[in-house]
Amino acid sequence: MTLAYSDAAQSGAAFSPPATGHVDVMAKRERRFAVALLAPAFVALGATTTFPLLYLIWTSTFRMDLAMPFMDGFVGFENYTQLLADPRFWQTLSVSMIYTVTTVIAQVALGLALALLVMNMKRGQGLFRFIAILPVVLSPAVVGMVWRSFMLTPEFGVIDYLSISAGLGSQNWLGDPFLALVSVIVIHTWQWTPFAFMVLLASLASLPDDIYEAARIDRAGPWQRFWRITLPLLRPAIVMVVIMRTMVALTAFAAIFTVTGGGPGTATEILNLYAYRKSFTELSMGYGSALAVALLIVTILISAVLFLIRRAK
Amino acid sequence: MKTKHLRAIGLLVVTGLFVIAWAFPILWSVLNSLKNERDVLAYPPKFFFEPTFAAYRDVIFGPQSILPNLWSSFVISAGTTVLTMLIAIPAAYALARLRVPGSRWAGFYVLATQMLPPVGIIIPYFLILRNIGWMDTYQGIILIYLSFSLPFAIWLMVSYFEDIPFEMEEAAAVDGASRLTTLRRIILPQVQGGIAVTVVFVFLNAWNEFLFAVVLSGNTVRPVTIAMFNFVSVEQTLWTQLAAVSVLAMLPVVILGIIAQKHIVKGLTVGAVKGGGRR
Repeated sequence: MTLAYSDAAQSGAAFSPPATGHVDVMAKRERRFAVALLAPAFVALGATTTFPLLYLIWTSTFRMDLAMPFMDGFVGFENYTQLLADPRFWQTLSVSMIYTVTTVIAQVALGLALALLVMNMKRGQGLFRFIAILPVVLSPAVVGMVWRSFMLTPEFGVIDYLSISAGLGSQNWLGDPFLALVSVIVIHTWQWTPFAFMVLLASLASLPDDIYEAARIDRAGPWQRFWRITLPLLRPAIVMVVIMRTMVALTAFAAIFTVTGGGPGTATEILNLYAYRKSFTELSMGYGSALAVALLIVTILISAVLFLIRRAK
Repeated sequence: MKTKHLRAIGLLVVTGLFVIAWAFPILWSVLNSLKNERDVLAYPPKFFFEPTFAAYRDVIFGPQSILPNLWSSFVISAGTTVLTMLIAIPAAYALARLRVPGSRWAGFYVLATQMLPPVGIIIPYFLILRNIGWMDTYQGIILIYLSFSLPFAIWLMVSYFEDIPFEMEEAAAVDGASRLTTLRRIILPQVQGGIAVTVVFVFLNAWNEFLFAVVLSGNTVRPVTIAMFNFVSVEQTLWTQLAAVSVLAMLPVVILGIIAQKHIVKGLTVGAVKGGGRR
């Protein structure tokens, strides 16, 4: 149901209700009524999203340094030329890409595998669904804090204990650049795989049984059934999960902020975090704004590509 | 027969591992919150110990009490929820039901506002609030929470309004009821369940929000997700208290999550672009 609804919503079909046979006189009154109902929402959204966006684009053409306000002034595209020549921008952009691609692939692959496993489970599916809800509703900041303190701390963190027990020795999970990146990827995957799992399980449950019966009669093996039937039928749901998870991963913040703060150095600093650090730690609002605009452009480009993939069938 | 048994056992092991992997970090926080400092730091990790509520006593009644922060989180979340619902319900009804030109674009606009990266909104918002003196205030934080809660609530409510059969409104219109009366008397009672679910999700998203809170909160308004940093510093970490605070911060959303269990997939996928402010 949900998935079908979302598809309709995407194409805009949700907004053309069936004809109800209203006469023209009614139309004007209905229009005024609609405007009255929509106005508060549009004022609020305009004030909290559209206006800040325009203001952001404007500030990105200024030098605006809260630490050195005497230097402030209009600079045109200078922040952007500076940005293109900034190695840290390219570094954080690539960390963003690595973070997004790995977490999204891991979530979809693990979520799908689990959904397939649990699908035909007769008992215990309820427990599984119940457990899956927990990470998804938790605050990423709290999740990050719990992982950082009780799972990954060298010597008494549980992950470190497992690593020592497995003969791999104690690791500085959040102090080593590579391991820190792996850690934040694992944490994000841990928190959001249940999301992919739940959506794909719901989608799997809605697939028609008769196709599988027919396939079984035709003696299609389990792998054949998976590749030829399940995967193509699940494609819309998978693409939707990929789009949603990509949008969130690109602007992930709380968990990385609490676990590593972007460090060590800039090893786990995604573009989003760099824009935050520039603006609120180094107080360069103008340059931070340009970074945020760059993030917006990247987000739009990637979602455009994903939506095109979604359309192509 | 034998391979069947083996497969069943394999299935059990794999699923069991995943249940443990998902439940463990949460369970472990709960266990640590009931330990004393020595047991938390014990190596190898201790699963059996004498439980104590000392950590909870400290973070509730101690000098670093977390109660004001839980209250802040509650006021922010409740305020956001009330304001969001007051605005979202009429808007969602209009988008779902009224046949007016441009409503398709209106819907698209609502959806598009969700695409904005929060870090982009917070920079100008911070500059504006600093100028009008609304930093570290409830109204400042609640207003910006509308940026993610409103599009989400509108879309979720649209989906519930669309489930109501058109005939009900037509019958009311034929009986001479005005649209407003119809909305109040006929439609709203029908979407009570949807409203309840939306309330739960909006509250949950507001409770979990972090980026806006970290920038805008100060000494007066400091939600629990920010205040937990009080227990971690470079010099020392108050392990048991940190665990207790984490558990207290988790508790409301876990309870709400369990209440909304059946609706969670719908809530997570609505709008199909992004699931609210928790990132």
